Amino acid sequence: MVIYLGWRVYQTAFGEGTYGPDTWMRFLITGLVVGGMYALIAIGYTLVYGILFMINFAHGEVMMLGTFAGYFVLEVFSAIPAPTAADPNMTFLNAQPVIALILTFIAGAGVSALIGYLLEKIAYRPLRGAPRLVPLISAIGASIFLQNAAQLLFGPQRRQYQNPDLLWRGTGWMIPVGGKEVMLTYTGLFSFVLSILLMVGLVILVKKTKLGKSMRAVAENKQAAALMGIDVDSVISKTFIISGFLAGSAGVMWGIHNGLFNHYVGFLPGIKAFTAAVLGGIGNIPGAMMGGMLLGLFESLGPALLGLDFQLKDVIAFTILILVLIFRPSGLLGEALSEEKV
Amino acid sequence: MKTTLKKGLSSGVVFGIVFIFLLLIGFINVGSTMIGDLLGNTENVTSGHLPVNNLLLMLALMGLLNGISARRGLGEDKWWKALLGGLLAGLISGILAWLAIWLTGTLSMQGTALQDYLPSMDPEELNFLRFYSTPIAAANTYLIYFAAFSVAGAALSWLFSIRGWFTKCWQSCKSGVVNWKGTRNISGVFENRWVMLVVFLVVAVILYFLPILWGSYWNYIMGTVAIYIILGLGLNIVVGYSGQLVLGYVAFFATGAYTFALLTAPTPHGIGLNLWLAVGASMVVSTLTGLLLGLPILNLRGDYLAIVTLGFGEITRILIRSDLLTALTNGPKGVTDVGQPNWFGEVFSDVNYMHLLLLLVLIALFIAKRLKDSRTGRAWVAIREDQTVAQATGINTYRYKILALLLGAAFAGLAGALFASRNQFAGPEDFTLMVSINVLCIVIVGGMGSLPGIVLGAFVLKGLPELLRELEDYRLLVFGALLVVMMIVRPEGLWPAARVKFKKPSEKQMKDLATEVEK
Amino acid sequence: MTRAVIEANHITKCFGGLTAVDQVDLVVPEHSISSIIGPNGAGKTTLFNCVSGFYVSEEGEILFFGKPINSLPTHKICQMGISRTYQNIRLFGEMTVVENILVGEHVRLKANWMEAIVHDPRYRHEESESLERAFELLEYVGLSGLENTPARNLPYGAQRRLEIARALASQPALLMLDEPTAGMNPQETDEMVAFIRDLRDSRRITILLIEHDMRVVMDISDQITVLDYGLKIAEGQPAEIQSNQRVIEAYLGPGAAALSEKFKQKKAQHA
Repeated sequence: MVIYLGWRVYQTAFGEGTYGPDTWMRFLITGLVVGGMYALIAIGYTLVYGILFMINFAHGEVMMLGTFAGYFVLEVFSAIPAPTAADPNMTFLNAQPVIALILTFIAGAGVSALIGYLLEKIAYRPLRGAPRLVPLISAIGASIFLQNAAQLLFGPQRRQYQNPDLLWRGTGWMIPVGGKEVMLTYTGLFSFVLSILLMVGLVILVKKTKLGKSMRAVAENKQAAALMGIDVDSVISKTFIISGFLAGSAGVMWGIHNGLFNHYVGFLPGIKAFTAAVLGGIGNIPGAMMGGMLLGLFESLGPALLGLDFQLKDVIAFTILILVLIFRPSGLLGEALSEEKV
Repeated sequence: MKTTLKKGLSSGVVFGIVFIFLLLIGFINVGSTMIGDLLGNTENVTSGHLPVNNLLLMLALMGLLNGISARRGLGEDKWWKALLGGLLAGLISGILAWLAIWLTGTLSMQGTALQDYLPSMDPEELNFLRFYSTPIAAANTYLIYFAAFSVAGAALSWLFSIRGWFTKCWQSCKSGVVNWKGTRNISGVFENRWVMLVVFLVVAVILYFLPILWGSYWNYIMGTVAIYIILGLGLNIVVGYSGQLVLGYVAFFATGAYTFALLTAPTPHGIGLNLWLAVGASMVVSTLTGLLLGLPILNLRGDYLAIVTLGFGEITRILIRSDLLTALTNGPKGVTDVGQPNWFGEVFSDVNYMHLLLLLVLIALFIAKRLKDSRTGRAWVAIREDQTVAQATGINTYRYKILALLLGAAFAGLAGALFASRNQFAGPEDFTLMVSINVLCIVIVGGMGSLPGIVLGAFVLKGLPELLRELEDYRLLVFGALLVVMMIVRPEGLWPAARVKFKKPSEKQMKDLATEVEK
Repeated sequence: MTRAVIEANHITKCFGGLTAVDQVDLVVPEHSISSIIGPNGAGKTTLFNCVSGFYVSEEGEILFFGKPINSLPTHKICQMGISRTYQNIRLFGEMTVVENILVGEHVRLKANWMEAIVHDPRYRHEESESLERAFELLEYVGLSGLENTPARNLPYGAQRRLEIARALASQPALLMLDEPTAGMNPQETDEMVAFIRDLRDSRRITILLIEHDMRVVMDISDQITVLDYGLKIAEGQPAEIQSNQRVIEAYLGPGAAALSEKFKQKKAQHA
């Protein structure tokens, strides 16, 4: 099986009439950009799992609401007129794109953080001691609820992000690769850089700050942490807030980079990000980051490498999930999960 | 005093936010219409205006609830404290409502196209919500109504608590919801053999005549309920008995349906197999799919199992509609002209079909019950409770887990064949993740491992939405909320599984009597 | 000549860098009550888990009546005739008392799922027989009348007894008890001691137990094995173990043996 796949990869990579290096570059760029977003969402899953040992099924919807929030802010800004001498039709959005973007991100990440907090408070906290199945079902219920609330509130139609002209989709630098030119979109680069920054920020938070230490302590042993004077409930809430914040940022990025979205926008990325978190080792933060980037790359390069239809790129994500969980449930970077013994 | 204020405040805030949410999703409108239908108070033909009394009534109800909730857990209090709490709640929610109505009303009258962003906020609807008058007047009405009725609600609650009625009523309602002792007692009656026989005969007669009497619309709906009961029973074996949380159950449903469709439809293969054989084949193929899924996942724990099986379900759907397999499955177009059940050439009428379904449901229930109360069933529950210990107590957990999965898949295969046959169509969009989730809800909300619970669950989750057609849009919303609420309030389900009660074997009783006599 | 029910040679079990059990030999004679004791962290439960199949030891061989059982899955081990209880009681909480025992009988029963659906005479016969046996066990452990109580509703002492009943239901040749008297008051402890003795005497079951209560251990054991930091430091009959210096020091610390000698001499002087 591995041999067959390897042979196909060889064929498509080096055979004639297949993709040239410029196309590969394009795939690579897409993979990295998408990977960054997956990584951010994956971190959210991993943080929650590490601390509560549950899969926050509704995490994808948390991201989705961030996307919506960002959208509305951009809409508002693009509706505020800020006429100048040069351009009487200028909007606030284009007059002050930096401020607008910053506020958009804050709104998106903020809303997601709030939703994450409420989610924990309403749907998960009452179920803290219950058997595994119960919070999982509650999470599924919350996910359905949020998805449909969004649909009912905002309608099922797809909406488009109003990027500032500076950061319009499809514009970017042209990079010469292998004789042809490949576009490195501004939005793509922006998303990627921001993802990296946020990830670095998170690592600093977890490693250096007191909150980070508390989070790690609670993840290791709730009782001991409580005995040490750590307010476990507060730490858990903050974990959800942080994971929501990251997901919201990813959501806004998604909107800026991909443009079209509706209430389903969280579903697939949610599942894929979960795959990424598992791939890297659930509960392991660098693992989630790595898993996210890898998944993005697999998804982008995979169909081309294997000569499969692009329709099936979702299948790739699911298949990776299944294979990882079967053959290496601890993930690439995770510790071996000990089956609870006597 | 502080608690009263706090409760009033929190209740007010919560209700205010809930109100705004309901407003934005258009539920206030729908609710008023429903009240109108209930009271026979419908559209005024000449002016085209909907009667606003319904809306007022709805506001009144909400206000009452607000007031009652503000007094929750406060018990007997000074009357003025109670009223104050209610007033506070009413004012807060009223102010929030005021702002919402005023804002939306003003913007709408100014011509802002709110409905571009919030589809429920189209001008016509908003006009109704404003009682067809100015935003400020309308907003004031909301405020007054909320405040007044919250006070009324608080007063009511206080009155009841003073008399002890309300608390008693509330307690018994609460314990009724949480405990449902009634259902436990009912199970006791069912142990008497003769009672069972009589009940069975009565039910059989009813079931025979109902499909004839209630017409094809109901036959269709109840047919869907029946198919979902079978699905629920199958999933129950996997989730309810053996505790494996499989979220991709729809995959088995799909393979069963598609096998049946592809074997009996003229395109794309034109095999035209005998329908009854095709049903058998569907079950076999589904069971094989179960084996395919089951073997790799044996080592997985709860959450992982859920996600992997979810992935499996999605993969199945994507593959069915993909270009890769279109030659086999007809891709996104689906398979049409699937065979209808017939008896020696005579096609089943919908009454016959319903009878067939009922018969199969009864058989499925029978099998499920027999399995539950057997060595196999106990082994499954032991695995669900504590897999490690179950295995150390001698149960080959792998074997039993696979068995559960295969049986569950077989049930789904049967349901799939019936589904395809009835709709005379099988298409990939009929087998989405939502189907898996629906079946899971039926099992969990009905009562995991409980047979009457699953039947009840199927009726509630598949039958009720048909009755409440106007709320179709909100169905999933309610679904999601229901799941969360059920898990918090009553995780064991609407009709929880009751463990079998054993009686001491009679020889023992004789022995005991003997020893007693000796003493 | 008494056979060895369990013969374990050079058992070593490591967790990462920690060697929990280090080259331990253990022989459990048939129809005996053998105890494993040692201070906390000595490796008793680990050894227990190796013998019962929960862990696979890195080194060493475990023979059950001469047959190797090292890497067998736990249900096979149960089938061969080893049952156990758990330190923190692990019953099937949702199931009733009698159902827990019926599950215990599972491995000795034969009915499969098809027979369950059909209810053929053989199935019905087997079910009624197993029910009789279950009730008999119920009475033996003193839980009569509680048959339909959900296991999680039982008081602590009753839960312990139920766990033992469940273990007995598979008709084991070797019964392994993990701290059977934990959390019991003196009266319950005495009852448990009498009970364990009766298991050996009237039911002819070999018992291997882990215990912290020294009175119990010294009272009923035919053989005591002492572990400390994963090593076996002593083995023998109660009297030998009681006066074994290394054992005393393991529990009370170095110098304790000498101290205890001093006290013994003083006592002898005053007597």
